[in-house]
Amino acid sequence: MSETREVPPAEVPDEVAPEPAGNGLRAVLRRRLTETTTWTFLILLGIVAGFAALRFQQFATVFNFRNIAADASGLLIIAVGMTFVIITSGIDLSVGSVLVFSGVIAAKVMLAIGGEGWGAIGAGLVAGLVAGLAWGVVNGVLVTKARVPPLIVTLGTLGMALGSALLITGGIDVRGVPLQLTTTIGIGQLGGVPYVVIIAAAVTAVGAVTLSMTRFGRYTYAIGSNAEAARRAGIDVDRHLIKVYALSGLLAGLAGMVSLARFATTTIGGHSTDNLAAIAAVVLGGTSLFGGIGTVLGTLVGVFIPAILQNGFVILGVQPFWQQVAVGAVLIVAVYIDQLKRRAQERGERR
Amino acid sequence: MRRRWLVGTVALALLLAACGGDDDGGGAAGGGERQYKLTLIQGVKGDQFYVTMQCGAQAAAKAAGATLDVTAPDEFDASLQTPVVNAVVAKKPDAILVAPTDTKAMIPPLTQAKAAGIKLVFVDTTTENGAELAESEIASDNEEGGREAARALAELTGGKGSVLVINVKPGISTTDARAKGFEDEIKKTPGLKYIGQEYSNDKPEIAASKATAALAAHPDLVGIFGTNLFSAEGAATGLRSAGASKKVKIVGFDAGPKQVEDLDQGIVQALIAQKPADIGKAGVEQAIAALKGEPVQKKIGTGFVVVTKENMNDPDVKPFLYKSSC
Repeated sequence: MSETREVPPAEVPDEVAPEPAGNGLRAVLRRRLTETTTWTFLILLGIVAGFAALRFQQFATVFNFRNIAADASGLLIIAVGMTFVIITSGIDLSVGSVLVFSGVIAAKVMLAIGGEGWGAIGAGLVAGLVAGLAWGVVNGVLVTKARVPPLIVTLGTLGMALGSALLITGGIDVRGVPLQLTTTIGIGQLGGVPYVVIIAAAVTAVGAVTLSMTRFGRYTYAIGSNAEAARRAGIDVDRHLIKVYALSGLLAGLAGMVSLARFATTTIGGHSTDNLAAIAAVVLGGTSLFGGIGTVLGTLVGVFIPAILQNGFVILGVQPFWQQVAVGAVLIVAVYIDQLKRRAQERGERR
Repeated sequence: MRRRWLVGTVALALLLAACGGDDDGGGAAGGGERQYKLTLIQGVKGDQFYVTMQCGAQAAAKAAGATLDVTAPDEFDASLQTPVVNAVVAKKPDAILVAPTDTKAMIPPLTQAKAAGIKLVFVDTTTENGAELAESEIASDNEEGGREAARALAELTGGKGSVLVINVKPGISTTDARAKGFEDEIKKTPGLKYIGQEYSNDKPEIAASKATAALAAHPDLVGIFGTNLFSAEGAATGLRSAGASKKVKIVGFDAGPKQVEDLDQGIVQALIAQKPADIGKAGVEQAIAALKGEPVQKKIGTGFVVVTKENMNDPDVKPFLYKSSC
């Protein structure tokens, strides 16, 4: 998937690009993306600076940032997959349910094998990842082959995955996964960095490189810009879309494993709004819901804006209900500013 | 371009200023000695049980000259409560009163809190190692609550027939204890046959289907004990649609406004009310005692009031109905 081989420019012709081709597709993309990400990054910095100014000793500590990163790790992994999906102008509403389903499958497998060993844990993790991947492939096939809109397909699989998880468990969280999983991956640290953060960082790095530097990434942008043009340029659009949805499912499965490791229980009730949180993070990160534009690094920033807001508000002692209001408002403000910026840029380009 | 920078920065500054201002207004007047900072982390936002607990805790904190912040996750789930606990720990209050949402999954963040030098008091729920982690664990004696429910149900049913427990889900220390107490006590009434417990996962529709299924399997079903709001309410809905609401009596737990309304309308026949305000009050008192280095009580059990339609307006029962705001 992560082919780094240079593709001759002829394979992705200029007609794919939404912009009037000036100095090549990639240069245009790169300029545009770095600029939109900068904005949200500045907002993030502003928020961090604001909280640090108000409560420096409580907020700006290694301890606090380590916890924020660990708490955001699961959502970040989901949001990386969501970035790819949204860049193809699709959507994946099923991620939270797939996360729960994968966690349930993994926990069940671990319990069935029994014992504390890494054999049981490994088998469970693999089963969980395969379960996530399978839901992703189902999404992709239904979107491309059955031609059902992604919103409907993933709304359907949202219900199906969660319903199946409830059927398997009888609606009761599966408990009693091997303690080793929690004490190592779940709460363990490597050089002061929690393992779950390392996993999420690795996923983000691989995702960023794949999207910006490989053929897989360029195809993703090309399909999101104009699927028909991509098809005429010789890209197997269906095949690529299936891969993108499969990636999203796989990463939701991985997030399920991270959640299972951290909480030692399947947390069935805790993920009903993960999909919206991931979409909000991706959009905050400058990815266009209409496809063709976006970066993984932007999504990284987008995940941390609500995470830091929640943390900061608890530290400030703001009433819990206000936190939801504020996070929603920041989403709109951030995207509004981004839109203003983008409009100005387009005007400038047209001249 | 420069103006837009300005718009963004100003908007952000306003937002943060608004939040900061909110906090500053909340400070209570300090007493003569050191003003302790306490934080109460509820199990879930907006639940009347926790609101009533908060009322009791706030009154006690005010009396002791301490400040009390209150926060809570969106849902009663460990994956949502963990970030809240972590953020509160970063805030470094002197003590945290917390209702852990899972006996196991909440151990890591709470261990971290204790390691940061914060005194912990567990209110209502606890963890598997609660005795180690917390200075004090304060809860209704939920087993006793279950026994109260069994006695109430024995009286309501006339002591003849099958009885069922509809519980929430395994791994919640409080509701598991209620079910256990009920099971122990119901055996003392020889005419009643205990047919086991079903789980509703806190969903009324699941409780409803489990209740009707149990009725089909056991035609002599005469009583159901729902260990929390949705379990009892869902069971009542299921029985009503099966046309068995006259025959089968329901005892519920807690006395929130909705439960009291159900009681008033005859949907449930008795409620076992806890005393959440007492839990909150005792939580603050124990936390402050621990901070001052005074002796603490490791475990405190608060009592119950059995509420029925007949006694719900009595002056010695009414104060124990839960509140939606202080």
